[in-house]
Amino acid sequence: MNKTMLGYIPNESPIYVIHPFVKLFFLLVVSLFPMFIAAPEWNLLLMISIFLLMWWSRVDMKILRIYVPVAISMGSIIFISYVIFSGNHPEYHLLFKFLAFKIYWERIRDAIVVYFRILPMIITMVFFLSTTRERDVIVAMRSIKAPFVVTYVFAMALRSAGMVLEDFQIVRQAEQARGFDTKGKSIPYKIRKYVMYMIPLFALSLRRSEEFTNALVARGYAFTGPASKVKRADYILTHYTFKKLDILLTIIIGALFVAILIIRYGFGYFGLNTSILTIWASKFIG
Amino acid sequence: MNDQKPFITVDHLWYTYTDGTLALSDINMKIFDGEFLAFIGQNGSGKTTLSKCLNGLFKPTQGDVIVDGLNSKNTPIVQMVRRVGYVFQNPDHQLFNNNCWDEIAYGPRNIQLPENEVKERVEEAAKVVGLDESYFSEHPFFLSKGLRQRVAIASILALRPKVIIVDEPTTGQDARQSIEIMEFLKRLNEELGHTIVIITHDMPIVAKYARRVVVMGKGKILADGNTRDVFRMSDILSQTFLEPPQITQLAQRCASLGFSPSTLTVEEMLEQFYQIIGVN
Amino acid sequence: MSNVIIQIKNYSWQYMNSSDLALRNINLEIEEGKFIGIIGPNGSGKTTLAYSLDALIPGQYNGIKQGEVFVYGKEVEKYAKGELQKSVGVVFSDPESQFTAMTVEDELVFGMENLGLSIPEIKERLEWVTDLVDLEPLMLKPPYEISGGQKQRVALAAVLAMMPKVMVLDEPTSMLDPISRKRVFEVLAQLKKEKRNTIIVIEHSLENLIPLADRMILLSNGELILEDETQQFFQNIPLLLEKSVYPPGVLLFFYRLFEAGYANSVLPLTLEAAENNLIKIINEKINGVNR
Repeated sequence: MNKTMLGYIPNESPIYVIHPFVKLFFLLVVSLFPMFIAAPEWNLLLMISIFLLMWWSRVDMKILRIYVPVAISMGSIIFISYVIFSGNHPEYHLLFKFLAFKIYWERIRDAIVVYFRILPMIITMVFFLSTTRERDVIVAMRSIKAPFVVTYVFAMALRSAGMVLEDFQIVRQAEQARGFDTKGKSIPYKIRKYVMYMIPLFALSLRRSEEFTNALVARGYAFTGPASKVKRADYILTHYTFKKLDILLTIIIGALFVAILIIRYGFGYFGLNTSILTIWASKFIG
Repeated sequence: MNDQKPFITVDHLWYTYTDGTLALSDINMKIFDGEFLAFIGQNGSGKTTLSKCLNGLFKPTQGDVIVDGLNSKNTPIVQMVRRVGYVFQNPDHQLFNNNCWDEIAYGPRNIQLPENEVKERVEEAAKVVGLDESYFSEHPFFLSKGLRQRVAIASILALRPKVIIVDEPTTGQDARQSIEIMEFLKRLNEELGHTIVIITHDMPIVAKYARRVVVMGKGKILADGNTRDVFRMSDILSQTFLEPPQITQLAQRCASLGFSPSTLTVEEMLEQFYQIIGVN
Repeated sequence: MSNVIIQIKNYSWQYMNSSDLALRNINLEIEEGKFIGIIGPNGSGKTTLAYSLDALIPGQYNGIKQGEVFVYGKEVEKYAKGELQKSVGVVFSDPESQFTAMTVEDELVFGMENLGLSIPEIKERLEWVTDLVDLEPLMLKPPYEISGGQKQRVALAAVLAMMPKVMVLDEPTSMLDPISRKRVFEVLAQLKKEKRNTIIVIEHSLENLIPLADRMILLSNGELILEDETQQFFQNIPLLLEKSVYPPGVLLFFYRLFEAGYANSVLPLTLEAAENNLIKIINEKINGVNR
């Protein structure tokens, strides 16, 4: 089992064959798809396709269970905000009245549309994070010749995130070991107390960052001056080659995106008026 | 000592981490009042995990940890930490108040003691660790490592736990600082009656201060006994990548000359030398 | 014959926020190819001295400098950014914070890329250093999957891969368990054998340091108290004890024997030598010198 940024995938997973750049490209481009697709049934289809990809990559699907409560609460918030807070339009169909609120069909429809746009974006991100290791992100960025400073800062951010998480665990234990207990206390109390965690984390990061900078300098890394203009060999890229498969996949993803744009704006298909679901639902509204 | 009731009983303890790794296998041990123990073993052998089970930070996956009659599985942590204190290796992980006074008072306040008792405990703890009043209003972050460690210990002492577990008391310290902290723990043990458990790699320190040694390897207890007895078990120690202190090794190598393989200190070595060559 | 490559002349350093000098008037010369051990209590200025050799002080720290530090004939402040690091490599004490990359291999390669080496050169040195420090099974692992001891060996290898002529190690094993400690010293012993570098090690773990060091330096309260060949250095045990440096038990034992007249002043620096000496002394005593 190899640990990825969000979980584990087994060594035999087929996702390893794919160049990290393709994974990054997939994330960036496919996340954009829902922005051009309004019809909820198509976004749902997109989401299911990504689930299939996750399953094919041998990601442990149990991790998705963690996101169910998130999905539900997010859906509720979207639903409530749209239904209660969005504006009125004289052509809206009134469904019924609930207490002081007028429930319009169009608002419910809009809430559903937004919800099914956000879900695939999140799932694409989850897919990416569960099948990618930190190094892959760096390789992806370097293979498209992003400036070294950018990729390095990114890598450092990833690295510190990991260390901060580890520290957080230990700090939590250290506080518990001194009787810190939030059971049965109010939320504001809990928030106030958890803010105190920041202090040791901050102190630890400060101390570490000094040593970290020293280590960078000691390895000959310079942010400015002639030493920073050195041509870097980019050794790790020698492990990764763009195979025909990678090029093919990149083209397919790009082509899909262009196709969606054409179908949407050229043929007007993915919009709401052509959405089968909304047409079918509207029949009930009358 | 064996007629006493043990303060801590560990009964068939197993512990597995959330990601599935088995950290402790079938641990059985008893800790009595007033002991001075060392947990030794390579990194990853389970010393820290076991210690955290003793003060309730970790709940057993299987088996029981009973402290002062309380089972850690169904006792709130707040109750457990009043009996078993744990001083973390890096004081930075636990210091977060603006001044040393509040830092030491943090524990007693967490357990809802009245303010006048908090005051008493803070002053007492500071006195025991040798922390001068002038430091009370200082911010812990800016103190030296040695002082920070003392503040960390004082903040645990303020809870008045019977058992104090100290994680790596001498790592990163120089010789004088190491002796100071160990002498201080020794006083806590001999004069104030605390049970002390140290987790360490520092074999000469173990030889000098610990009366009982628990050797851990791969989540199991490989040996548990008197320091002298354990230090003779070279094959067990090497299983967990440890060696006895150099002076003990010298004695063991020269056993044929009459040196005891349980020699722990330079003084003992010298005594035996004089005996062997027949000088008073 | 050996030549002097590091010269420190009347060097003093005071950190910006401190009211005291961290180093006072240090005068020191270090010859090429030697293995030097620096010991002293915490706060005596060892780390400050180490950092001064690589221009980390005054480069990364604010403070007042007096005197001069010459490495290969040039004052450290006169080197361009990134230049001095080609000659002087530093390994720090915290394995965690000096791991700057996402995998072991990236870590080893980082310094070499900074030097502008070509891919074939990198490959060659990578193989050499991986073999020397025994890192092959760890190559693709990220930092959170390896232990502190392994990280420290990676740090050592990463600096070695840059092939600096001078290696400075600041308490490289203080956070490690005994076995990891031994492994680091094994690499150092190997390096010493191959005589590729000048090695300067700051350590509290004297047992491991003493057998390897050609010369030892004692710092206390910012001052250089004692500097000598290892054997001579450890004939000053009372001075060491006075300055709160405790020699390893075996050395102390033999010193007491020497004080009492049973051993000569040449103290054994290794366990093997100690064993042999002790057997010899006791046999002579029991059986008479004619044996």
